[in-house]
Amino acid sequence: MVSGSRRHLVKLGAIAVSAALLTGCSTGTDSAGGDRNIRMLVNITPVLTKQFYKDLVAGYVAGHPGVKVTIEAPTGRGIEDTLKQQLAAGSPPDVLAGGQNTALAAQMAPLPDAQWVKDAPFAEASKLDGKVWMAGTGVQLQSLVFYNKAAFAKAGVTGTPKTFDEFTAALRKLKGAGYTPMQTGGEWTTGAQALMMANPNVMNTEPQWYAKRNKGSVTFAGSNYAKYLDVYQSWIKDGLVPKDANGIKYQDMINNFTAGKSATMVMGNWLTASLAGAKPGFDTGVFPVPTFDGSTPPQAANPAMPYSVLKSSRHADAAIDLVKYLVSDKKAITKALSAEGNFRTGYSYKTTPLTNDIAKLLDKAGGKTVAIGPGLGDNSSPAGFPDEFNTQVQSMYLGTTADQVARTMDKWWAANAPK
Amino acid sequence: MRPSNVTLTAPGPPDNPPVQERPRRTHHTPPRPLRVRAARSLPSILMVGPALAAVVAFILIPVVVAGRLSLTDWDGFSDSYKSLGLDNYVQLFHDPGVANAAYVTLVIAVVGTLACNVLGLGLAVMLNGKGRAKAVLRGLFFYPHVLGAVIIGFLWSAILSSEGAVNTLLTAAHRSKIPFLSDPQWALAAVVFVVVWSTFGVNVVLYLAGLQTIPESLLEAARIDGASRWQTFRQVVLPMLAPSVTINVVLVLVQLLRVYDLVLAMTDGGPAGHTQTYAYLVLSESFLNGKIGYASAQSIVLMIVITVLAVVIVALRQRSEKAVEQ
Repeated sequence: MVSGSRRHLVKLGAIAVSAALLTGCSTGTDSAGGDRNIRMLVNITPVLTKQFYKDLVAGYVAGHPGVKVTIEAPTGRGIEDTLKQQLAAGSPPDVLAGGQNTALAAQMAPLPDAQWVKDAPFAEASKLDGKVWMAGTGVQLQSLVFYNKAAFAKAGVTGTPKTFDEFTAALRKLKGAGYTPMQTGGEWTTGAQALMMANPNVMNTEPQWYAKRNKGSVTFAGSNYAKYLDVYQSWIKDGLVPKDANGIKYQDMINNFTAGKSATMVMGNWLTASLAGAKPGFDTGVFPVPTFDGSTPPQAANPAMPYSVLKSSRHADAAIDLVKYLVSDKKAITKALSAEGNFRTGYSYKTTPLTNDIAKLLDKAGGKTVAIGPGLGDNSSPAGFPDEFNTQVQSMYLGTTADQVARTMDKWWAANAPK
Repeated sequence: MRPSNVTLTAPGPPDNPPVQERPRRTHHTPPRPLRVRAARSLPSILMVGPALAAVVAFILIPVVVAGRLSLTDWDGFSDSYKSLGLDNYVQLFHDPGVANAAYVTLVIAVVGTLACNVLGLGLAVMLNGKGRAKAVLRGLFFYPHVLGAVIIGFLWSAILSSEGAVNTLLTAAHRSKIPFLSDPQWALAAVVFVVVWSTFGVNVVLYLAGLQTIPESLLEAARIDGASRWQTFRQVVLPMLAPSVTINVVLVLVQLLRVYDLVLAMTDGGPAGHTQTYAYLVLSESFLNGKIGYASAQSIVLMIVITVLAVVIVALRQRSEKAVEQ
């Protein structure tokens, strides 16, 4: 281990470089008069805009004179790399709004052992070394198959598929009826959709699969990932997904679906907001991703709009108080849930029929959820896993076999797992 | 440097005496006192000082820091890190991702440098001279360079994606789509094309500046001697442009070896990592995957490669310029 002045010299240099090259000016200092300024780095999406967050915290600010909340948008590719840049530059925010990984957990202050923390979705699941460092506002479901009801009727598909065999048969019929059976695409979506379909099948029997893979007690090649990749390969071969998927943008995927060109699209519940905005000329249905045995799968899910407090915050008490407001105030929660169509037991808001259908799926699964993407807490993947999986799934469109992908992922995980 | 048909080194006639060489200091000349020399050098030091300070602060120190970090496993923000010796460098040379990124970068750099220079020089020759149309065209060719790389990436991605403008037109005309961004070869070609499109405007301007320095008398002499346009270009213009060629080749090469933002916006390294450049990889490893130590090792290797290439190119060009002069 390196410590002392040399370490500080290196950090100083790195901070100087990073500050000069990678970050803009920050607004970390308090305003005149000793007012407390809480800087909140947020995840910006088409729905969760900067203005949305300003409105979200307005209630808190109004009730706390002397406290100012500054909403900061990512300057990098997302909040995670922006936070890393800010940490390197010595100017991190007070509150982080968005998903994090285990590496960043060390930078967060543990949340108090309070009821509002225990009640927050996924607070327990995000525990690291027994401490809660992140509290979610709601539940975001990510293993849903949206489908065009008119296309299913035209193709003669009655009922919604429960197994992958039934799903494949339905996709074949939809292709015969002139539709793109399943809408896939490039960018981040290729791997994300694959995880959305595979994870409920992998983690229904091994909920701590990521943690077990870190220890080397399970493998991709010997799991339902490999089985799912075989199915995916057959879809590519049979033209049940667009052969040019790698070149299709996320927005084009949505456009194709809402234009009625494609019959199904696997995505998270946030798609409901886009579908409501696009007003497609057909009824949209939703069902959970199929399983190999036809059983009802758990939903792959993430904490919706989670918050953490940086341990470097100079106003940690006020920052924790703000997080408490965001994840326990009824008005704030309802506003946050309705923006993305997310869920939380005991909370309701004006929903679309599609959102109601999704809520029923969660009820049907008994509220059971499993990890998606990078995972949570002790059940987290090494940094870079979603990106690497995305690359490997994309390579299947270029001829890589399912078997090769599984073996490559095992090799990658072994090289990147926490030592 | 001079065109090869003009000789200045031959003994001069009586009415054209050879240029007197500046007398050299011999060991008999007593050296000036140090105080005097320092006083004389002070204005120069003061003038160079700020630039030197900037170089030290923004180049030398970061390089030294990066070199130190490249021997560690630092994640970018932890309080401590472990020294790894040369492990990061060993891993780098066994990493298939690095090999792929190096190949992609090499293709972009070599093809892009050639294309930018050939295109830049050709258009500069065509647009050299006065005229409103030429001025407008110069502006048009330079315009892509004014746009940010991210804007260019998104723009061309909207044009070339599977559901983009070009493929929509092809579909409307009942033609097959072209997999610009979904096929590895097409995607790499598309990236190279867009890189060249967004870069060559600068080369046009630099070559135009070089063309302005060629004395009209030389071109006139060539015309009187009966040289064709091609002969004039080859024997007079091109040798005179040697310094411009050197600058253009080195500048473009160094720029293209660092392409990152355009790839990020246009293909995000896809499909399946086939357009992932070396600089893109460095940024991914550092801030996305939190491997600052490993990324620093990659940066150091890239810096060494760029330095060696730049030095070699400049040395080769200087040798060739000297050969022309002789």
